[in-house]
Amino acid sequence: MIIEQAPVLIVIIPLMAALVTPLLGWIRKDICYPWVILALLVSVMSAATVLNTVIHEGVIHYHMGGWLPPWGIEYVIDHLNAMMLVLVSGTAFLVAIYSKRSIEQELPEQTVYFYTLFLLQVTGFLGIVITGDVFNLYVFLEIASLAGYALIAIGEEGAPLASFRYIILGTVGACFYLLGVGYLYIVTGSLNMADLSGILPELYGSKVVLVAFAFFMVGLALKMALFPLHVWLPDAYTKAPSVASALIAPLMTKVAIYVLLRLMFTIFRPYLSFELLPMAKILLIAGIVAIFAGAIMALAQVDFKRMLCYIIVAEVGYMVGGIGLANSVAIKGVVLHVMNDVVMTLGLFTVAGIISYKMRSHTLMDFKGLFKKMPLTMAAFVVVALSIIGVPPTCGFFSKWYLIQGSVLAGNWIFIVALLFSSLVNIVLFFRIIEIGYYSFDSPESHGHDHDGDSVISEAPVSMLVPTLLVAVIILLIGLYNQSIIANIIQYAVPKL
Amino acid sequence: MLEFIIGKYNFWIYIILMMIGFYAMISKNNLIKKIIGMNIFQTAIILFYVSIAYKRGGATLPILTDADAHAHGEHIINMAQYINPLPHVLMLTAIVVMVATLGVALAIAIMLYRKYHTLEEDEIIKALK
Amino acid sequence: MIVTIITGAFLIYGTLDMPEWGDPNSPASRHVSPRYIEKTEIETATPNMVTSVLADYRGYDTLGETTVIFTAGASCIMLLRRRKKKG
Repeated sequence: MIIEQAPVLIVIIPLMAALVTPLLGWIRKDICYPWVILALLVSVMSAATVLNTVIHEGVIHYHMGGWLPPWGIEYVIDHLNAMMLVLVSGTAFLVAIYSKRSIEQELPEQTVYFYTLFLLQVTGFLGIVITGDVFNLYVFLEIASLAGYALIAIGEEGAPLASFRYIILGTVGACFYLLGVGYLYIVTGSLNMADLSGILPELYGSKVVLVAFAFFMVGLALKMALFPLHVWLPDAYTKAPSVASALIAPLMTKVAIYVLLRLMFTIFRPYLSFELLPMAKILLIAGIVAIFAGAIMALAQVDFKRMLCYIIVAEVGYMVGGIGLANSVAIKGVVLHVMNDVVMTLGLFTVAGIISYKMRSHTLMDFKGLFKKMPLTMAAFVVVALSIIGVPPTCGFFSKWYLIQGSVLAGNWIFIVALLFSSLVNIVLFFRIIEIGYYSFDSPESHGHDHDGDSVISEAPVSMLVPTLLVAVIILLIGLYNQSIIANIIQYAVPKL
Repeated sequence: MLEFIIGKYNFWIYIILMMIGFYAMISKNNLIKKIIGMNIFQTAIILFYVSIAYKRGGATLPILTDADAHAHGEHIINMAQYINPLPHVLMLTAIVVMVATLGVALAIAIMLYRKYHTLEEDEIIKALK
Repeated sequence: MIVTIITGAFLIYGTLDMPEWGDPNSPASRHVSPRYIEKTEIETATPNMVTSVLADYRGYDTLGETTVIFTAGASCIMLLRRRKKKG
């Protein structure tokens, strides 16, 4: 019976755990951490069960409350969903294990509510990914966004203003999404995704559908930080606490890209998205501009986390441009890249968090001499860096390979130039850091930082080190097994184009 | 042309209201004015949805009164007598979301005021540099 | 300002094809809602149609909405609690 209810358990368990956490924290502050890990462990196992079921049996339909759609809400889980569920819950689980020491250092008084909002945000993301009803998606999008605004606002100097800017722009995005839902409702009368995709083909010539599509696109572009609507991202993710950025940064933008894929391919079928509207060209140009802009701005940064934020902007450009190529090889590459990017960004931000924990700041100069003092962390960092650059056998190489193949098939050479340019810029960025890491010209005392009386930086604590190393191992595993992942999961998630 | 406008003027009024809120949200400098603009924008969206639910021709609220309750065994509840309840339901949820976002935005504005003692965005940016 | 005008123009352009205000035969009123209106007494024993949709047919959205309130409440507590002054 538990296996049948697994789709709901994935979302409900973190939700219920979040409601109980303040009570537990009032009794004893220390039991929040194991409680969070327990809840997320159940969620990860349910997600893995669901993925297994989808691979063996096909699409799962789960009707909430027993009402058939379109009168009730239903959860539709196909291959794309199941993959995203495992990614989101797995990331949350790893960040939860990682969070203990960092929270003790950065946010000692707000631990209980931090973990509450952590679980609520994970609930929001899981709810977005799993649902088959557009209004339900809006509700969970707002849960995730509200928790995100609060988690970012308790960071370092300048975090409240960054969070306020994010509130204004994020609310605009969510309201545009709601307007799109409203326009679609006026002409179709339904809120269920499968139902909409059945009713919409007769209405393709209608101006309402066109405007609804445009508003969906702009709203989602604000949430996924597509250039030039990315202005909230660098400040917000840089100044947030390290655990908050390790949770939000890999997930928020990729979940928005998942919603874009759902919208373009399930609700508005590819016929509308690509043939009636010049979406392919628009997305391609937007993606290329985002890649160039992200790469160039990343070169100019002195702060490590800010540099990572611009790398995220460039990665979003890869994915949007890949969708714009409009053939199934490229979209296979996009889905694989979503998977890879979650893992790679998680790896980068966990390393940034470890640096921030040890050195109390996150500029590039903090990497000085770290190869000798923190060899394991830097080894994981090198693996992640190679993956972002795109070196085999890490996973980053394979997704870039599919995107390049798709680009050749579509005959578009500018995109290939953009991909290669971005890889070159990434090489420069990361080798700069690796070079700083190898040489330690000054002795540690003359840094001017206060290391709690130690003059020698030791390796990172185990609870922070294990998730980072696990991420590096996962990157290698995804790279080695990418053929079987594509054959079993991604192939069915991609529409035939 | 005239019945065109009369047929749709409700949507246009709400769109103008939305644009007033949107303009306030993105181009004013004071944090509280931005928050109020956000509120106006979201309220206009809510009114837009609610206006979809109306049906001409004597439709009343979507509540069955006692007179109709006696007749329920004979299925003579007519669809055209009651306005559409679904947009109202969606907007109840949207109102709650709007109030929650307003609350969090005001909490952050309080945090900013406690720290910098001003509510103008450009002064805060200058103080951060 | 320009962005505002463009957005407004786009929205108004979209309304040109919409069904008229108060049309009882619009797709929004014909597709899903008839069942809510006609069957509410039989299936949910609630005379108020809005309640029956909110709490029964679409009860999951209401759960999400309560979670939104809880999130906002927890955020406000976390953001606004006064710290004890150190030293």
